[in-house]
Amino acid sequence: MTLALSPAIAMSKTPAIDAQGLFKSFSNGCFKPSKEVLRGVDLEVAHGAIFGILGPNGAGKTTLISILTTLLLPDRGRATVLGLDIVQDAGLLRERINLAASSAHFLWCLTVEENLRFYGRLYGLGGRALAGKVEELLHLFDLTPYRRATFDRLSTGLKQRLSLAKTLINTPELLFLDEPTSGLDHEMAVHLRQEILRLNRETGLTILLTTHNLREAEMLCSEVAFLKRGRLAATGAIPDLQARLGLGDHLNLIFKNGVPRVDFHRLPGVLSCEIRGSQVDLVLDRIESRLAPLLREIAPLSPEPPEVRVKEADLEELYHEIAR
Amino acid sequence: MKLPADLVKIWAFAARSVLINRRNVFALFEMVFWPGISIFSVGLLTKFLQLNQETVTFVLIGAIGMNTIQIAQLDLSYSFLYDVWAKSLRHKFIAPISLSHLLLGTGLVGLTRGCLVFVIMTLLCTTLFGMDLGRPGFTGLVIFLAGMFLNAAILGILVLALVLRFGHRAEVAAWAFAYLLFLLCGLYYPVTVLPAGIKEMAQFVPLTHFLDYFRHFYGFPRVSAHPLLYGFLESMLYLAASFLLLKITLKSARRRGILLKLSE
Repeated sequence: MTLALSPAIAMSKTPAIDAQGLFKSFSNGCFKPSKEVLRGVDLEVAHGAIFGILGPNGAGKTTLISILTTLLLPDRGRATVLGLDIVQDAGLLRERINLAASSAHFLWCLTVEENLRFYGRLYGLGGRALAGKVEELLHLFDLTPYRRATFDRLSTGLKQRLSLAKTLINTPELLFLDEPTSGLDHEMAVHLRQEILRLNRETGLTILLTTHNLREAEMLCSEVAFLKRGRLAATGAIPDLQARLGLGDHLNLIFKNGVPRVDFHRLPGVLSCEIRGSQVDLVLDRIESRLAPLLREIAPLSPEPPEVRVKEADLEELYHEIAR
Repeated sequence: MKLPADLVKIWAFAARSVLINRRNVFALFEMVFWPGISIFSVGLLTKFLQLNQETVTFVLIGAIGMNTIQIAQLDLSYSFLYDVWAKSLRHKFIAPISLSHLLLGTGLVGLTRGCLVFVIMTLLCTTLFGMDLGRPGFTGLVIFLAGMFLNAAILGILVLALVLRFGHRAEVAAWAFAYLLFLLCGLYYPVTVLPAGIKEMAQFVPLTHFLDYFRHFYGFPRVSAHPLLYGFLESMLYLAASFLLLKITLKSARRRGILLKLSE
């Protein structure tokens, strides 16, 4: 099936999201100090990107996404989404974005089709345009067999699919996904991630997602930002962040005839080195480009080629490094 | 035919309210059972007290008015409450809708249900307790109904503002709030019997004037010289004020994170 989801998304030079100095605090009652959730967040997301906001529970991810989707007003700071001010142009902006919350909640007594129709109408869709869009989404998310099932009878996975289908009802240019795979089993989470990737690739849809699932961010996001206690601790493409923080891929070389006399520290791409008996543990910036030259460098000095074990760097390390 | 987007958005809320009512057996209870119980108990009380027909009609008009207003305002309250219970409020407010779409759409269904309740209650009162509803004429009836729906709209909007301000704690207001109004407006008694101070307050309740207007057709003296003027003036004023209050409360809810809290 050909996706008919994307409008001609203008790849303008202005970012899809441009936030500067966003602050948000919540009152805890009259006589208690308010809780500061966002403390000066700057964020820039390019058109067509899948951008991940990572952080532990309570880091402010949902607050940030709620501000950008106009559900919440910031205390200070400014932000434009698709070139529209989130406060001044909120009404216009809502026409062009959509949001899927971390857990799918819809009116329990309405069927899948009725829920989609209701939200379609809220975006001004009526008549054949609405019917066509609903059919398209039911088909796209394999919801056709469940179209007459009321929401309370759906499984968690189906509910989440309905939630994603609803986000596309207005053919948005920017999609906000707040922990989209939270509460789903592994199989369904993988399926949903593939759907998200497919949407991005086939329609050029810009997606901002929040997650505390590092694997998810690794699989989906071209760029991530780490939110820590209301501030963005680090932003960038994952490999760039690794390099910036000195994190890399682990290479374990085991020499049967002892470690050759090589100054491993000076080899290109080596971030750190530790020699333990006949083993050398190296951390390289990019294993795929560094391994072959490194082995060539070692070869004349070692009678036998070493046994090579590789462990690629992952976000887990990056996350722990930033969270420290 | 392609409806303008605004009409489609209003229709969205109306169609959803119809579906909710159709799926919920208790919606029928709301329309028939409770109002029926109310009419029966009030009607039988008038028989026990051996009231004359005019006084019976006086009391029954109050009972009909109360049930009609309650049903009509509940539909407005439900426009939020169902989303609060389903935790889906954020979906509604991330969509490009205004409060007018929501109020007009759900108000339309409230108006229809209110009319149905009015007809059912009137039939009951006519057949069981000999009430003559034809005396005020068609115009009198329409004006009385319009007055009741205006009051229902004011109440409904105030309930929405309370729910947006206080969240789940204010849910009970949807059912209880109207009774404060009924106490003041002289539902089963003329406002002249109210204690001093409260009697004057009753003049600031528009329903007082609409009941006053409708009851004068049955021979009861008017409390105010211009009940319709005061009734409509106060209604419009309160309607505008309550709508403004709701808009302010919604803005405050966006600032305080209430929309998110009510969606969790």
